[in-house]
Amino acid sequence: MSISSVGRWARSSRSSYILETPPTFLVPSLWKSAPAARNFSTSPSRSLPRDYNRNRGVSAIRGTGPRQPLSVSKEPLPEPVLDSKLRSKVQVDENHGLWGFFNKQRTTLSTPEDEYSHGRSWSVEELRSKSWEDLHSLWWVCVKERNRIATETFERNRLKAGYGDFEASDRDTTVRRTQRAVKHVLTERWYAWEAARKLAKTDEEIDLNSPGQIYLPRDFEEDVPEEEELRDVGSKEPTTTKERRDADKVTV
Amino acid sequence: MATNVPALAARHFNLGGKEVYLPNFTLTLLRTPFLPPNYASFIVPLNLNKLDIRDYLFHAYGVKVVSVRSYVQQQRVRQDKPGSRMPAPRRWYRPRSIKKMTVEMDKPFVWPEEPEDFSSWEKERYDAAAKSQEKEQEKYRPDYAAKPTAERKSIAEQAQALLSGKEQWRPQWVDSGAPVEVEQDLPMSRDSRP
Repeated sequence: MSISSVGRWARSSRSSYILETPPTFLVPSLWKSAPAARNFSTSPSRSLPRDYNRNRGVSAIRGTGPRQPLSVSKEPLPEPVLDSKLRSKVQVDENHGLWGFFNKQRTTLSTPEDEYSHGRSWSVEELRSKSWEDLHSLWWVCVKERNRIATETFERNRLKAGYGDFEASDRDTTVRRTQRAVKHVLTERWYAWEAARKLAKTDEEIDLNSPGQIYLPRDFEEDVPEEEELRDVGSKEPTTTKERRDADKVTV
Repeated sequence: MATNVPALAARHFNLGGKEVYLPNFTLTLLRTPFLPPNYASFIVPLNLNKLDIRDYLFHAYGVKVVSVRSYVQQQRVRQDKPGSRMPAPRRWYRPRSIKKMTVEMDKPFVWPEEPEDFSSWEKERYDAAAKSQEKEQEKYRPDYAAKPTAERKSIAEQAQALLSGKEQWRPQWVDSGAPVEVEQDLPMSRDSRP
């Protein structure tokens, strides 16, 4: 049963209200609470403008100016400095990392004399005794030096400065020979390690899979020299200094 | 890149999982006056990516990189490989592309001034040598024979002078008399003969 039919039934039976009371299960549907009155109006609400156009009503023809203040000041605009030499210089940090791409004098280009004044590369024999940390830091020194050489070579060619390519490439070759020596030493170490690992696989005293100690030496009996041998040796050769001196006297 | 990390606390990014102990490439820092001072541009190998250069510059040089942009520059097609003595025509060759990366740093950096005096690099001698070499190489170009020679103008002027009668033609050969044998009085011994 819909609500409207219940209402109609209630209205029609208003005259005989006392006589015919509705059943109790219809009470919640017949009980009228005061509904929230909603104003219905065809005119737009005043809280919002007609649309979100901020320039509504602003007309250049009618002389109605903008309704919001504009960010325009009466101060004159600063003039751009077109000549780069007149501009204020940028303060560069003394410890800026990009100085690592330059020489010690921090000039754009090194002279060919400076570039050529270098020693030989590190040899493999010298590097064999070095630790991994030493080799690694030497490698990074080489990397940075090659970056510097590449930067200067590019800049020299760009400026068309002149000679200096030979000196730079010579230095680069020296650096790369050092790098080759570093890799040579590391390769040697790797092969030594690999050989030791293979040897350890066959060794019974070494257990590579053990979680704790790998080297487990077995108990072995020391070779105890027999008493007779000891006695013979003692009789033949002088053990103490005094006896040795005596023996010398005899021979002399 | 796992190197001697300068300051772990100062690192402004998460370390990657790619461990490179012995990098074998070069970065070339470029002079970029057209960029703001907190930008730096590099020529990098083609296989280097933005995360790599950020990591590399921080750990090797201590440069904090804020952002990176990258650009691969394709090279022009050339005839034959560079350095070939006689470039073969229509043997096309494209040099490897150049990858450039521009990084934005937290601190500004400006290159030192360009040198004014190039005498240390012997620029004049270098330019003269390059010019003469270029002149020498012109002879081997296919259209060298078709080009007018340097003497052509002078020859035309001389011919015009002769035709107009300004100059009279005169043989350059001069009659110097009958041939005379020289050193007739020198004795020729058997021993001195070769």
